[in-house]
Amino acid sequence: MTKLDRRRFIGGATALAAGLGGMPHLARAQAKSITVTAFGGVWEEAVRKCFVAPFEAKTKAKANVSLGGPPQWLAQVEASPKKPPVDVLIMTPDLALTAAKAGLVDDFTVEKLPNLAKIPKELTDSVMGKGTLFDYGVGGITFNKNRVKNPPKSFAEFVDRVAKGEFVASVPSISYAVTPIMLIWAMAKAFGGGTENVDPFFKAMEKMKKNLVFWAGPNDFFNHLSSGEAELGIYFDGRTWNHFDSGATWIDFINPLEGGSLNGVAVQKPVNADPLAWDYINEVLDAKNQTLFAEIMNYGVTNTDVVYSDKLKPRITPWQQTQFPPYEEIAKVRNDWVNRWNREIGR
Amino acid sequence: MSWLLALPAALFLFVFFVLPLLDNGMRSLVGGDGQLTLTRYSALLTDSFYLRVTAETILLSAGVTAICIVIGYPVAYVLVRKSGRWAGLIIFLLIAPLLTSIIMRTFGWQVLFARRGLVNNLLLDQLGLIEAPLRLTNSPGIAIAALVHVLVPYMVLSIATVLQSVDRRLEESAKILGAGRLRAFREITLPLSLDGIGTGAILVFMIANGSFVTLVLLGGGLQTLPLLIYQQFNTTRDFGMASAMSTLLLVVALSCLFLQLRLVRRRGA
Repeated sequence: MTKLDRRRFIGGATALAAGLGGMPHLARAQAKSITVTAFGGVWEEAVRKCFVAPFEAKTKAKANVSLGGPPQWLAQVEASPKKPPVDVLIMTPDLALTAAKAGLVDDFTVEKLPNLAKIPKELTDSVMGKGTLFDYGVGGITFNKNRVKNPPKSFAEFVDRVAKGEFVASVPSISYAVTPIMLIWAMAKAFGGGTENVDPFFKAMEKMKKNLVFWAGPNDFFNHLSSGEAELGIYFDGRTWNHFDSGATWIDFINPLEGGSLNGVAVQKPVNADPLAWDYINEVLDAKNQTLFAEIMNYGVTNTDVVYSDKLKPRITPWQQTQFPPYEEIAKVRNDWVNRWNREIGR
Repeated sequence: MSWLLALPAALFLFVFFVLPLLDNGMRSLVGGDGQLTLTRYSALLTDSFYLRVTAETILLSAGVTAICIVIGYPVAYVLVRKSGRWAGLIIFLLIAPLLTSIIMRTFGWQVLFARRGLVNNLLLDQLGLIEAPLRLTNSPGIAIAALVHVLVPYMVLSIATVLQSVDRRLEESAKILGAGRLRAFREITLPLSLDGIGTGAILVFMIANGSFVTLVLLGGGLQTLPLLIYQQFNTTRDFGMASAMSTLLLVVALSCLFLQLRLVRRRGA
C-alpha cells in the first residue's frame, strides 16, 4: 500500500497546481459566467428552465441566478455602476425608467438582440428603448368561487359591494412596490381620474375602508383568501392561475370591465455588464423560450410569434386589451400618492 | 497584550457596524443636490404624521414589553421555584415558538383568528355565541399578541436566570421576622430580580422596536418606523429619508435603553 506522507502530499499538490497553471484557457472557459436575476419560487424555476438552460447550452458559459427584487438590484447597480454585480436586470417598468434616465442601462437594438424585432415597439418604447417588456400580468379581481357565487364584473361593482359589506376584500398595501400602478392608478382611471387626479381612488377607499384587509406580498393575498379572512381582492391573473394549477381550484379571476392594469416586467442590461448578457437577453426574448415561460408562469409574454396553448389562451389577456399605465408620469407623482396614502389610509 | 484578543471583534464591529452607521448618517444629511441638509430631520420632528408614527413605534414596544413582564414574571417564578422535574419541559415549551419560522407562526395566527378561521367558526357555528364573524386579525391587538408570543421567552429566561441566583434564605429570614409571603416577595424577591426584568425588558423592547414581518402581515393599521423605512426603500426609493428614519429609530432605541438602565439601577440600588 502506498503511504501518503507529508512530503508526497506536498509534492503531489505542487504538481497539480503546476498542471492547472499550464491550462489557463481551460480555467478561463470554465470561469466564464454571468449573473442574471429572478424573483423567488416558481419564477426562479421558470427562469432556469426557459432562459438559463438554452443560454448555457448555446454559449457554454454559466448563468448564475441572483434572487431578489428590482429595488435591491437597482440599488446594487447604482452603488457599483462600473462593475455591476448583476449582468441582467429584471425590473418593474417604473424602476426600469429610473435606471434608463440615470444612464445605468444600455440601449436595446436589433443588431445586439435579433429577437427584439419580434417584440412590439410600444413595449420597448415604454422604457425609453433601454430595455423591453418580456412578460406581463393583469391586475384584476381574484375571488374565492366557493364564497362568491356572483362576482363583481367591474371595479365600480367591486367598490359598491365591498362598501356595502357584502364582501371583505384584500387589496395590496402601500408597502408593495406595484400598488401605485395596479391599485391607485388603475382604480382612479376606472372612476374617471388618472395620473393627474387620484381623488376618485381615495374616495373609493374611504367608502370601502371598513371591509378591507391589506396584503403585503402575493402569498399573503392567497393566505387571506384561503384562511377566509377575505372573499376577494385585487390581484394578478398569472398568480391566480398558478394557485389554481397547484390545487386551489376554488380560485378564479376576472379582468374588470374597465380593464385591469398591465403590470409588465422589463429586462435590461447594465452599462458595464458582461457582453454575454446580450446572448442571455436574446434567449429571454425568444419565442420558443417565452412560450414555455408562459406555460409555466401563466403570464402573458411579448414575442409576437408566441402561440399560447389551448389551456393558456382563455387565461391570457392580450396586452392591447389592458390599461397601459403611463409609467413615466406615474413615477413623477408616485411619492406624493404614497404620502397621501400614509396619511389617509395608513396601511 | 490582552487587548490584542479583542482586536478581531473590534475590527469586525468597526467595519460592519460603525462604518455603515456613519454612512447611513451621512446619507440622511445629504440632499438630492449633494448639499448638506436637515430637512428630513425637520420633517420627522415637526410633521404631525411622523410624530404620530414615532409615538406609535415607542408605545407598541413599551406595551409589548410591559405585557411580557406581566406574563413572564409568574412563569419565570414557577419555573425556578415550583417546576421541579418539569423545568426542562417548561423551558422547551417556552423556546418552541422560536424554533418555527416567523412566517409560519404569523400564518398560524391568521388561520386561527381569520373571519372564517377556527375561533370564529367555533363561536359562530359550534357555540352560537356570535351572530357574525369577529374581525380579529388585521387589528393592532392581534399584532401585539403575536409579538408577545414571540418575545415572552426572552423575558422569562432573563428573569429566571436572576431569580435562580436569589438567596432563598433572605426570603425565609423576612418571613421569620414577621413578613407575609406577599411582603417578602415585594420587598425581597422583586427588588433582587430587577436586574433580570431590566435585561428582559431591554431585549424585548429592542426586538419589538425593530419588528417588521409580524407587523407587515398582521399589523392591521399600525404604522411604525420600520414599516415606513421599508416603504422608503421598496416603494418610493427615497434612501435619504429611509436613512433619517433609521437614525431616528436608533436614537429612540438608545434613549429608551438608557432610561431603562437608569430605572433598573436606581430601583435595584
